[in-house]
Amino acid sequence: MKRVGEFFAKNRHFIPLMSTALLALTAYGIGAYLFVGMRNPQVFFNLFRNTSWLLISGIGMTLVILTGGIDLSVSGVVALTTVSSAVLLRDGMNPWLVIALMLLMGMSLGAIMGGFIIKLKVQPFIATLAGMWFARGMCFFISDDAVQIDNYIFHILGKTKILIPGLMELSLSQGKSAPYITIPVVVAFLLLLVMIYVTQYTSFGRTVYAIGGNEGRNEQSARLMGLPVDRTKFLVYTFNGFCSALAGLSFCLFVESGHGLYAPGFELDVIASVVMGGTMLTGGSGYVFGTFFGVLVLAVTQALIQFIGSLSSWWTKIVIGALTLIFIGVQTVLANRKSGRQNAEATVGAVAKRRTQLRLALGAGVLLVVVVAGVSISRSGSVASVDTSASAPCVVEFRKADADNLIQGGAVMAYQRVAGPQCVDELYAIYPDGRITGTDGVNTVEKQVSPDEIEEMLVAISVEHAWFTNEIYDTYLTPCRQCFAHYILISYNGQEKGATGTDGTTAMPPGYAFALAEIRPLLPEITSAP
Amino acid sequence: MKKNMKPSFTWRTITESRLFFPLLALSLILLFDFIFIPGFFTIENRDGNLHGSLIDIFRNGSTVMLLAIGMTLVIATGGVDLSVGAVMAIAASVAGILMNPSALKNEVFFVTDPTYTFQPLWVVIISALLIAILCGLWNGFLVAYMRIQPMVATLILMISGRGIAQLITNGLRVQITYRPYSFIGQGWIILPFSLYIVAIVLAITWFMTRKTAIGMFIESVGTNFRSSFFSGIDEKKIKLLVYTFCGFCAGIAGLVASSNIKTSDANNIGLTTELDAILAVVIGGTSMAGGRFSLVASMVGALVMQAITQSMYAIGVPAFALQAIKAVVVILVIILFSEQVRGFIRGISTSKKGVKS
Repeated sequence: MKRVGEFFAKNRHFIPLMSTALLALTAYGIGAYLFVGMRNPQVFFNLFRNTSWLLISGIGMTLVILTGGIDLSVSGVVALTTVSSAVLLRDGMNPWLVIALMLLMGMSLGAIMGGFIIKLKVQPFIATLAGMWFARGMCFFISDDAVQIDNYIFHILGKTKILIPGLMELSLSQGKSAPYITIPVVVAFLLLLVMIYVTQYTSFGRTVYAIGGNEGRNEQSARLMGLPVDRTKFLVYTFNGFCSALAGLSFCLFVESGHGLYAPGFELDVIASVVMGGTMLTGGSGYVFGTFFGVLVLAVTQALIQFIGSLSSWWTKIVIGALTLIFIGVQTVLANRKSGRQNAEATVGAVAKRRTQLRLALGAGVLLVVVVAGVSISRSGSVASVDTSASAPCVVEFRKADADNLIQGGAVMAYQRVAGPQCVDELYAIYPDGRITGTDGVNTVEKQVSPDEIEEMLVAISVEHAWFTNEIYDTYLTPCRQCFAHYILISYNGQEKGATGTDGTTAMPPGYAFALAEIRPLLPEITSAP
Repeated sequence: MKKNMKPSFTWRTITESRLFFPLLALSLILLFDFIFIPGFFTIENRDGNLHGSLIDIFRNGSTVMLLAIGMTLVIATGGVDLSVGAVMAIAASVAGILMNPSALKNEVFFVTDPTYTFQPLWVVIISALLIAILCGLWNGFLVAYMRIQPMVATLILMISGRGIAQLITNGLRVQITYRPYSFIGQGWIILPFSLYIVAIVLAITWFMTRKTAIGMFIESVGTNFRSSFFSGIDEKKIKLLVYTFCGFCAGIAGLVASSNIKTSDANNIGLTTELDAILAVVIGGTSMAGGRFSLVASMVGALVMQAITQSMYAIGVPAFALQAIKAVVVILVIILFSEQVRGFIRGISTSKKGVKS
């Protein structure tokens, strides 16, 4: 028992980090125990695939927070990177040049904000806020709409599967597809390793730690010690700009398009994961490696909420907020302890006061967890009693072969609608003579409209809403509980094109939504037999 | 503006005044509007009510003005409240769900009857404001008693607040058709009704801070909370009070915003308004480090922000691109307030006294 105490006393700095790592692993373990799907190794590696940009940005943010600053501009720079790279690629620029330009742009934005903070003594909060608005606003000067990226090299960079050596044989022997990661994940991990080395083993890293903490007084002492405070801060903000641009590129490779509304509230996720990784927001204490675990906690939370299915996506926000609160509570208690130790004449009263504070922090944390858990249980219970089918996540499967068969059979359009609150799977076929058929696997319906209406709709979709152009492209995200996923296949004037989309997201091209609105009124209603 | 300067005592007192820079910025923007946008200053009389771009600045700026009142006090104590936007959304959701609870049943039916409401209006308003006050109390508790940095403590509610608001409305946009409620944001009694709300809140706050000792306590806590503690001011209670008051102001702003668009939209109500409110206070000259504050200057700051928005809309800048222009304005303000420029102006006015500069 004493040994355990000594171990904790010696490694007090690592307590937040260790608890985060433990939390991430426990959460994943519970998930794997409850849901068979989570035992699939690919789900584990998807945690990294879906958060590579968060990790990259978190590394830069950790350095900024270590110096006692903050950078709110990351989400804006990410969005700006996606838009400008998409537009530059559309105009036929060399992709490698685009990547270099984007990184340069991020670095110069970071450098400008750093210059403001150092030279004009602006609060980091205000300067980077202005940076975020500037970057977000510029996105819409460049392009109002989402721009699709259709570039060979970007495709290779984003979609290359890097198989995991040891696990490939194992999962193949179990009859599953081999788990893989992508190039951005590898880049993120390389950056992580480099920055762990830089922060722990170089003079630059030591200076970063020396600047932060103690409400700016440490910065004063660092300056008096003759450390290059201004230069280091400037470098840190420039590096964070670089990280933001890299994160933007990684995001852009994942979604293969660019839009100014991408990554809303991204900076909050980044800050939350840095804090959960055990870095003090006052600066001066924390580890880049901790941020990795912070990101992992966030990813596991998202995955769990997705797997539970009956919880809506906004629960992610609440859980992340609660976790941040608990970690900050722990940090505050630790910081109070530390300062208490420095006070030689710590009286009994002060000790009792600290105890009360500790109890308050723990109590508040426990209360929050209990409330969240209670509400979630009661909610999942009530949802289950209302609609049992919705509590299981819908399996979305686009029946493209069936749709092709329908087109072969003379239909001009095949339309499939999946998921939604009732978890439907409906396939409609529209024929040029005005006949519309629909089936949900059990029931079949048929409806007759005039051929002119069909022709009118086809013209509207293909000409007005630009169906047969690059404006319409495949997007797919797991639909929310109320949302539908759609697959539309149109054969018109000798051209044939199919595209998928999910509503409730900004990723769906606007033309796609208009096309859906044209189709919707014509469809017959499938009423399931009781 | 320095060119017509005469080395007189009155000029000095004017430039030293805290209202000088915000008013200067506001008048520059209005001058720009006067030159480039025809008809910006025309005010029409429709059925005894006044309409026009100038009135719109006040009407659309009312939410930011309300937030700025609370935010000024918080910033004066040396803190900051990032959660006001989320609190607005929470208050709006509570109000929406109390008037139209259909969203809770996972079904959306459109209530078109303008006299239908589930709960009477006073219950709606009071419960929404109570929830907002509760949010403010929570922030104040974290900052004052748990000693968490204000930015971090309020960041928690900023992250999870929107989730909570969506939880309340079941993730749906709640339509509000009840007509008396929409009077809060859209009613006119010669001037927009929301302006009267701002005026009442401002008057009460001004009276509380300037005619009682509370204002001095707040400034003293912001200047140095330790010495104010030793001189007998309960700085924790003062902090708790200002954060609670800020939550209350955010609640009113949420009611105004939701009645303005007749919808309780948990995702978009008050999005990034916390930043507008902070900037309004900063433009008003209250230092982010705490200390002296001026409510009227913050109001002018809020009007500056709204005047920029309004004139950009009038020119035809798209809503999203507006952010970039706001950023440029913020940068200009930062440069204007920086030590270098202040020192430069001071240098001009002292060394070149009497010389036309």
